[in-house]
Amino acid sequence: MLFNSMTFVVFFAVVLALHHAPFGSWRIKKIQLLLASYLFYAAWNPPFVLLLWISTIVDWNVAKRIHTAETIGKRRGWMLASVLVNLGILGYFKYGGFLLANWVALMGSAGIEWQAPDWNIILPVGISFYTFQTMAYSLDVYLRRAEPSKSLLDFSLFVTFFPQLVAGPIVRPTDLIPQFAEKPAPRRGRFTWGLSLMVLGMFQKIVIADAALAPAAEKVFEAGGKLFWIDAWLGTLAFSGQIFCDFAGYSTTAVGAAMVLGFSLPNNFRFPYAAIGFSDFWRRWHISLSTWLRDYLYVPLGGNRKGPARTYVNLAVTMLLGGLWHGASWTFVVWGGLHGLYLGVERFIRERVGPTRLSNTLPFQIALAMVTYFLVNLTWVFFRAKEFDTAWRMISSMLTFGAGDRVLPGVEIVLVGFTIFAILFVHGRMREKRLEDVVARTPWWVTAIVVAFMLFATIITQGSNDAFIYFQF
Amino acid sequence: MPSSTSSSDPQIRPVPALPWGRVLVTGILLTVVGLVCWEIYWRSQDFEPSFRNSDGLWAMTRNRIDREGPGGTAVVGSSRLLFDLHLEAWREETGTLPVQLALEGTDPRPFLAHLAQETDFAGLVLVGVAPPLFFTPDIGLRASLLEYYRNESPSQWASQRISMAVEPYIAFYSFDTALFTVLRRQTIWPERDVGSALPVVRKLSNMQITRQSPMWEKLEHDEAYRDMARSTWLEFLNMPRELPPPEVLKAGFENLLASVKTDVDTIRSRGGEVVFVRAPSTGPFREVENGGFPRERMWDVLLEHTGTLGVHFEDHPDLQDVEVPEWSHIRAGDTERWTRALIGHLRRGLDARGTSRVELKP
Repeated sequence: MLFNSMTFVVFFAVVLALHHAPFGSWRIKKIQLLLASYLFYAAWNPPFVLLLWISTIVDWNVAKRIHTAETIGKRRGWMLASVLVNLGILGYFKYGGFLLANWVALMGSAGIEWQAPDWNIILPVGISFYTFQTMAYSLDVYLRRAEPSKSLLDFSLFVTFFPQLVAGPIVRPTDLIPQFAEKPAPRRGRFTWGLSLMVLGMFQKIVIADAALAPAAEKVFEAGGKLFWIDAWLGTLAFSGQIFCDFAGYSTTAVGAAMVLGFSLPNNFRFPYAAIGFSDFWRRWHISLSTWLRDYLYVPLGGNRKGPARTYVNLAVTMLLGGLWHGASWTFVVWGGLHGLYLGVERFIRERVGPTRLSNTLPFQIALAMVTYFLVNLTWVFFRAKEFDTAWRMISSMLTFGAGDRVLPGVEIVLVGFTIFAILFVHGRMREKRLEDVVARTPWWVTAIVVAFMLFATIITQGSNDAFIYFQF
Repeated sequence: MPSSTSSSDPQIRPVPALPWGRVLVTGILLTVVGLVCWEIYWRSQDFEPSFRNSDGLWAMTRNRIDREGPGGTAVVGSSRLLFDLHLEAWREETGTLPVQLALEGTDPRPFLAHLAQETDFAGLVLVGVAPPLFFTPDIGLRASLLEYYRNESPSQWASQRISMAVEPYIAFYSFDTALFTVLRRQTIWPERDVGSALPVVRKLSNMQITRQSPMWEKLEHDEAYRDMARSTWLEFLNMPRELPPPEVLKAGFENLLASVKTDVDTIRSRGGEVVFVRAPSTGPFREVENGGFPRERMWDVLLEHTGTLGVHFEDHPDLQDVEVPEWSHIRAGDTERWTRALIGHLRRGLDARGTSRVELKP
């Protein structure tokens, strides 16, 4: 079920009414939420609820066995069982076709004509998110970071909690499961603030991502020929805004929906286009994934504890796999690889140069932020392009200031220019701030007008019911 | 060690200290005032509530074929049969309501193929032929609709029904009044030559729950709006088109005939029948259609190759005796008479071929 759909409006109203109704124990409320979460997921494709059940049952049992296992071998065995089941599900549904296509290509390059079977598997929505979230539970118990949950109901709700089920934030078990233990204490303003966050998230998705920016990005990336450099740049900038507002819009709505229900989810974004450097960028972009990769991949690989060379290798492996997590395509691997390269180069420079008086000046920081944004945009080309031909064509137009087709009419140029300027302005101003603090300092009536404006604009934009981009991951 | 059940201290999100009750009430009030003003504005522009011409409504209509059994009448085509056919008049004449599956700006051939290959439909299929759409390879505006239909999720199914509970009451709940649609068609934006972009067609009709879609009265009464619709068509007709070499065109046409014949034969093998209908066009539209798609080389060949009945408006004075305000669609007031006349021609044509259809019996 999409947040930006009529079904969700009715669904959420019913869930909210039942959840806040003055009857029913806390256990009953949790059962309602669990059933609602299954319904939420089944609304795409009912049989795929089975995958949620498999993930739940496997990790519930595995974590218990890891916890009670007496030998390190047994602990490791059970941990591997969890990883294999979760990555097996992910591999079958998400990477099966990709692996098969590459196998056929490999055989072809060796002169062997391999006939691959058809691989028409539907990708269960959000599978990468909930498999990672569930796997984190078993890994936490294995790494002795947490004890297993004592309540199957709470654990099932952790795996399935509908606000963040299909596109994150990827929540850690220690952050969410304890919140289910007891009915949240009432807090003044939580309900309305949660609703306001949902409005902000939907405004980002429906008005900015889908209506203002997506048409320009689509026109440019779907154009067949070589593009005029301005069009190539504007299309890429449009996508940079679209992907941010689409994904951050989902996360903000998820945070708001959870809050209205009485729960706290972590931030997934912190104004990433104001990042100064790439380690800063990854502390601001898709925070729940970058910290997941850090804690469950980079650190177990050795992190920066095994010498400089190994650190660079670990960084590269983490980012390449992070790229592949997004999609079963080599373009995503290149996207991850470029970020790995950027992080590596940044680390190299930092270790040798270190902070100077010049590097701490405002103009230098602004220049670094602009370089970061410029390089991030180059990576978005590979993220958005469906194949390498398109990506190379775009990169070539952008970097050579080449001639070519003009595909963006004046209105799209104005919309992209204005919207991207507004996004960068807001990110720059908010770089060191929290939204909550800014709202707290704002007169209440200004907040009311801004929220009303966003809600009004969202309704009259009407929306195209487009799925969130990250659902496909 | 932190426990995932009890002892950890989860991060509780802060809530800004504001009088949230006042924020809530004021926010709702302002939103409602804004929406009421927006609704009043669009009603003042002659918009009235109607059903949205959505993929979901098409899918609902398409499902009637499975629900109502293999008989009945189905209509595939482009906007001409969508606008011109008066479904209630058809029901009065024949006792059954046709399943209206025609789609604006879209080639009906994939939908004929869908009926032939993916259903057990054995009734009467009316295929609307608008030559620039039917005889060219592009599927057109609604190319992705069959994919939507095949993969419609329970959530999309439910959203369609919830949306339809609202649509009959709100004039601004229309694709034409969506904020960015309105913004993009303003004339204030800087001009930029981007080659041959497909012109955007403004609102032409009001859709009903049966997908009957009579022409919007504004086209009849508002000269400026009618002129704008005509200029859009001129823009469309004057678009530069790169035609493939003649031998490729010829091969394409032969493939087209073969695939249509396969679908016609499949429906016939189940006891069904297919007829082609060429609805009226006038002015530059008719000139371009007759010039670019000569009847004797396209329409006549289609009928001969498939062995089907075709009703062409040029053959029947009563099918021409209608007003076509923007050269492509009949005005709403004439559709009832036109539909009854069409049924008469279909009956006589099929009777003459010895293939009378129960679907057309009075």
